[in-house]
Amino acid sequence: MSGLRGRVLVVDDDPVNRLLLRRALEQEGLDVEVAGDGGRGWERVAGGGFDLVLLDIVMPVLDGYEVLARMRGHEATATLPVIVISGSDDRDGVVRCIELGADDFLPKPFDPAVLRARLRSGLARKRLADLEREYREQVGHVVAAAADVERGEFRSGSLDTVAGRDDALGLLARVFGRMAHEVAQREQRLRAQVGALRIEIDEARTARTVAAITGTDYFADLQRRAADLRSGPGRQNGDQQ
Amino acid sequence: MTSIVSVHSFRGGTGKSNTTANVAAVLAGRGLRVGVVDLDILSPGIHVLFGVDQDGLDHHLDGYLWGRYPLRAAAREVTPPGVAGRIWLVPSSVAPHDIARIMAEGYDVGLLGEGVRSLAVELELDVLLLDTHPGLNEETLLSIAMSDALAIVLRPDHQDYEGTHVTVQVARRLAVPRTVLVVNKTPESFDADAVAQRVTEAYDTPVAAVVPHSEELMVLSSGGIFVLRHPDHPVAALYAQLADHLVGVRA
Repeated sequence: MSGLRGRVLVVDDDPVNRLLLRRALEQEGLDVEVAGDGGRGWERVAGGGFDLVLLDIVMPVLDGYEVLARMRGHEATATLPVIVISGSDDRDGVVRCIELGADDFLPKPFDPAVLRARLRSGLARKRLADLEREYREQVGHVVAAAADVERGEFRSGSLDTVAGRDDALGLLARVFGRMAHEVAQREQRLRAQVGALRIEIDEARTARTVAAITGTDYFADLQRRAADLRSGPGRQNGDQQ
Repeated sequence: MTSIVSVHSFRGGTGKSNTTANVAAVLAGRGLRVGVVDLDILSPGIHVLFGVDQDGLDHHLDGYLWGRYPLRAAAREVTPPGVAGRIWLVPSSVAPHDIARIMAEGYDVGLLGEGVRSLAVELELDVLLLDTHPGLNEETLLSIAMSDALAIVLRPDHQDYEGTHVTVQVARRLAVPRTVLVVNKTPESFDADAVAQRVTEAYDTPVAAVVPHSEELMVLSSGGIFVLRHPDHPVAALYAQLADHLVGVRA
């Protein structure tokens, strides 16, 4: 086992070539899918999920140039590594493919060692491209979170994915997330305080409670005696009311 | 001539006892003779603020209510050092069996009124502060009825607003000569003047003090009676302002 990992699409109209390549790639530990012409190949590629494409040049429906041109013009596949499968007498075709954005070429008949090296290199580029894309996306999350803070719509936990990184971006996300959380809490406290100062009293309920307290004989008696209670021995005069 | 002042809150945990103790200290600091009765029989606690050890509470309000001795015998002087006037405290028992007995058997509420009046005479008190039980039970109504002034302590939150309204209404029906509100434990971020204005308008009752709440104040307050330990702190001036309202220096 070479330890290669990834999903590779082989687009070649030659069934023998397809079979040989499939076997060779599977032996390297890769998941392999095949397409027998450029049209099907483009459909598969456009469907996504591949880490690398091995692309023949001369094919029915769509040739390799057209497939390559479409791939590079399509955002999702613009950076997907493409290795062109070429005959040894097709130097011009290889040049044109590289000008169209192919990353490498594999001469037929292919040498397993050369194939492995091309695959390793292509998959490494794909991994780097994926990491770069993920990094850009996560920077975008932090920027979006900043906009959310500005709008007062920041949600705690929205940066958890980025904060899990062990690099500087992760540190930025953690610090930013903590600060934004503190700001949100402070705003929440202020809103609660503003709410607390809104004195809303249910007059009907209050009236019922007061009636329950003041409707007793004890209270009536107390009301009658209140002035006397306040003007007894040693007391102030009860005439201040 | 004794002025009786009840310090009340509809709900527990508003800082009522703390307010009572500070007002007592302010008034005693002016050379007055001040009595404090802990009427919060079911959950007494003001004795702690006056430094009274609960193990030494052998005479208390509960004993008077059970006819064991006159209320004067339960009054102990707790005047802090350096205070010009004097303070006496009638504590309530903290013994669980006493509290349980009060809860189970009740007591003659009328005795409270008699005891308070005779205590005022015997100790020649200028002011007698009643630290009431939260809610509006019979003894609380009695203490409000016999008071020349009532301070209702509330916290600025919704749980207190309606109960405070009830208390204000009841006090009006009992024709208490002076009723003021104390907004206690107010978050520091609140504007005190705005709070005072809103609360005054909501209850049509003057606000005597808006006392802030902060971690710093919690730490400063934990050592006992605030105005004695930090007389120059702005909060001490608020308690002095409250005392003025309660004894009629301010209308």
